[in-house]
Amino acid sequence: MLRLLQQPMRKCRAFAARLLGLLRARRADADFAAELEAHVALHTEDGVRAGFTPENARRQALIKLGGAEQALQAQRERRTLPWLENFAQDLRYSLRTLRRSPGFTATAVLTLALGIGACTAIFSMVYAVLLRSLPYGDPGRLVYLFTPDPSLHLPPEIFSPTNADFFDIQRENRLYSNMSFVGQSAVNLAGQGAVERIGAARVDENFFSTLEAYPEWGRAISTGDQLQGHDHVAVISHALWQSMFAGSPDVLKDSISLDSVNYRIVGVMPPEFGYPHGTDIPYGNAEVKTTETWIPLALTPQQKADRDNASADAAIARLRPGVTIREAQSELGIIEARLDKLHMPLLQGCGALVKSFLDIVVGPVRPLMNLLLGAVILVLLIACGNTASLLLARASDRLRELGVRAALGAKRSRIARQLLTESLLIGVGGGAIGVVLAWLFLQVLPSLNPGNISRLGEASLDARVLLFAVAVSVLASVLSGILPALTVSRLDVTGLLGGSSRAIAGKHSRVQSALIVAEAAMVVVLMASAGLLIRSYINIASVSTGFSRSTVSMKISLDEHPGVTSQQQAAQRSAFFHSLIARLGALPGVSDAGAINYLPLSGSESLDTIWVDGYANRKDQLAEGRSITPDYFRAMGIPLIAGRAFTEADVSSHAHVVIVNQRFAQIYFAGRNPIGGRVGGDNRHWDTVVGVVADVRHFSLEEAPEPQFYHPDYGGFDSAYIAVRSTLPSRTVAAEARAVVRTIDPSVAVADVHTMGELESEASAQRRFQTTLLTLFAGVALLLALAGIFGLMSYSVSRREREVGIRMALGAQRGDVMLLVLGNAALLLGLGLTIGFGCAWFAVGVMKSFLFEVGGHDPLTLCIACVLLAMFGLLAAIVPARRAASVDPMQALRAE
Amino acid sequence: MGGKTDVWQGTLALMVLRTLESMGPQHGYGLARRIEQTSGDLLALNYGTLYPALLKLEQEGFIRSRWGVSENNRRAKFYELTKAGERQLKRATAEWEQTTEILARFLAPAQEA
Repeated sequence: MLRLLQQPMRKCRAFAARLLGLLRARRADADFAAELEAHVALHTEDGVRAGFTPENARRQALIKLGGAEQALQAQRERRTLPWLENFAQDLRYSLRTLRRSPGFTATAVLTLALGIGACTAIFSMVYAVLLRSLPYGDPGRLVYLFTPDPSLHLPPEIFSPTNADFFDIQRENRLYSNMSFVGQSAVNLAGQGAVERIGAARVDENFFSTLEAYPEWGRAISTGDQLQGHDHVAVISHALWQSMFAGSPDVLKDSISLDSVNYRIVGVMPPEFGYPHGTDIPYGNAEVKTTETWIPLALTPQQKADRDNASADAAIARLRPGVTIREAQSELGIIEARLDKLHMPLLQGCGALVKSFLDIVVGPVRPLMNLLLGAVILVLLIACGNTASLLLARASDRLRELGVRAALGAKRSRIARQLLTESLLIGVGGGAIGVVLAWLFLQVLPSLNPGNISRLGEASLDARVLLFAVAVSVLASVLSGILPALTVSRLDVTGLLGGSSRAIAGKHSRVQSALIVAEAAMVVVLMASAGLLIRSYINIASVSTGFSRSTVSMKISLDEHPGVTSQQQAAQRSAFFHSLIARLGALPGVSDAGAINYLPLSGSESLDTIWVDGYANRKDQLAEGRSITPDYFRAMGIPLIAGRAFTEADVSSHAHVVIVNQRFAQIYFAGRNPIGGRVGGDNRHWDTVVGVVADVRHFSLEEAPEPQFYHPDYGGFDSAYIAVRSTLPSRTVAAEARAVVRTIDPSVAVADVHTMGELESEASAQRRFQTTLLTLFAGVALLLALAGIFGLMSYSVSRREREVGIRMALGAQRGDVMLLVLGNAALLLGLGLTIGFGCAWFAVGVMKSFLFEVGGHDPLTLCIACVLLAMFGLLAAIVPARRAASVDPMQALRAE
Repeated sequence: MGGKTDVWQGTLALMVLRTLESMGPQHGYGLARRIEQTSGDLLALNYGTLYPALLKLEQEGFIRSRWGVSENNRRAKFYELTKAGERQLKRATAEWEQTTEILARFLAPAQEA
């Protein structure tokens, strides 16, 4: 009852006093001895006064005190913290025992280090990509707004509201505190000497306040900046500030030239801000990896009123506090239902979609991160299992020692605590090495980066990750230490000291066997998963892209020239590309040169509605439309299947001709000869099909080719990809091309120089990333499990030497003994394989979305995983088996 | 000895505080004797358990100690109440009284009910 009165503060004070007591133990002991001395003397004096002899009186006093030594001990326990002292004692003892068996210690520590290292490394990555808060205020309240037309059967995230729709929504909504309209593009930045291509965003005055991200220097884009004539201002990224202006504070007096137009710099964003990144806007500009500059959107009143054609790339909004996405969705539905009727009839049918910002920005990589986390957790569990097994083996070797301690009065909890202390030490060691391993992993991570996971490069061992590593280490120590501690502390003293240690060891090895079975099962799951990814990757690698890998491609973007009519502009472009292609084609070593507006695997896309003569046309017929120069197919190595390629005459005479791909021909000219057939689009004349070319994988390697059609053109694009087929190295080709471009127009940038093979490899980079990591983890898991099997078998052989000796004395052959050990290993492996097979069968369902042309329940992969484990597992058991077979029966029998 | 009661868990601290309040600074032996006398020699106090209790009170800041000289000229450690100890004594007394009162109601012969 009194205890209720003790306030926590008093407890803290007492705790501090006791902690201090640890430091002043000796002086306090002397002090208390003096106090007791005085006590006994006072008591004795009283006794003498009452008539006892001094000896008797002193004896009485001591009895009443309950023994001086006991009083001293009780005082000591109260003065300091006994558990802390015990812990220090356990720690010293554990360190001594661990040092005595370095082989065991090294194995256990390294095993745990692998598990903890893998976990920490992957966590640091997941933390950077998914968990670390984005550099925007409360990203949970940010949403994207879309107005999708379901009848077009396209991903809804393609449809951003049109300009007029956006401004009406902005006026009528009640649920958003802020809304912003963002355009994403790549621009030519004139630097010292060379022209550079950077990501730019055209933003309205609400952009920064919607994201709640503000310049670290200078100001944001304001309402005044949106007015015509005042709109040549720019906010730049921290990186650009550093690279172009060397971080000079005078940057606000400076300007940058974007697409040959000067912009006055008004602000610098903080280092972590780069919105929109390439993956932040669905189906955004794939050329942009991160945004380096923000300039005013500056729409004219006419543009703002455009309801049918113009739109920015993304509409983002910040929900008012407490508003749910569902509420926002229903409000946008009501608003858009009214606005839809204002569209021209062909474009009616727009719905409304509100999607969480986080789902769009980090959602796509979440499954991959979960997969990798799952994999490393299995690795960690296997490592813990191994360490537990090692600790168990050692505990049964130390039964006698533990028995002596128990007999001398050590409590069971004390023995268990001591064993746990040991595993904690191993965990700490493993954690320390694991952090080093994680650091090494992070050094190679950038080279594995597939490029389409935003913020992956920011993964680092910061305080939170280190805290995670500590937590995992403690968890791992407890996981691996708890089983041995429990089994040992449950034994009684006679059992520990008596001759029945053999039976106890048997019990231990049953637990160890169960651990091995579980490990084998987990390894099967991991190997099967890795196997499925490897097979998917092989399938991807063998996909036929339709073009030649050696062709060199590069992007050329022409500046827009305001104040020039579109006809004049088209003529200028046409002249530029004509002369560029002609000069490139004439270079020595170059066999063909061509241009296209949307290059395969460049992340760009354009879909057109088409009509085919003699086909039952529907409203939503879409095909990939391209403009190419006559030699494009030859430059890309795309084979002509039927008919002819384009000629220069087709371009100059504006001939109404079109070339389609095989898929197009199969769908729209089924059973007919496509050559001579007619294809048209909205408001367009008929074009006559003059040729059929092979299919090309355009958007990704994993999607089957869509219907594609090509028109001959030189001037219909402001930016184009040049394709050059030559025998020269790609770097030489790029240098030559740059030189040629400079002689025609020095303000034009040559960007994205790649061979098509590189683009292909980039397109499969994420697969390579996930396959490499999962295979690595499966390999580590296999290695750990093999070490576990080897350890268990060696241990059980050493325990059973006597039994083996008896068997041999009774006539067993060495072969029989080997078979006995191998049979034992095979039994455990078999059990593990069966369980693992079952688990894998269910677990791979999770992997469906990661597979390409492989069924989740691919029997071949599962069987290979099982066979591999069985093979390696038996190999690991062979060494102990041979040792068992080499036992000398006489020696073994005499040993005990 | 058979008629003597052991000190209940937790009540020793209250006895110490109360004794120190009424007697002023006192050494361990004197405190022990006084507690026994006050109880009318009904309590069997193991003197050895008094010292950890004193240490605990000191760690909690309710009492403080210093070396002094006893009435018969012996060096001994004297304990005295602190301000926090006085407050604690008031609180504990009130609480203890309430507890005994509640308990008394339960244990009283059921005449009125």
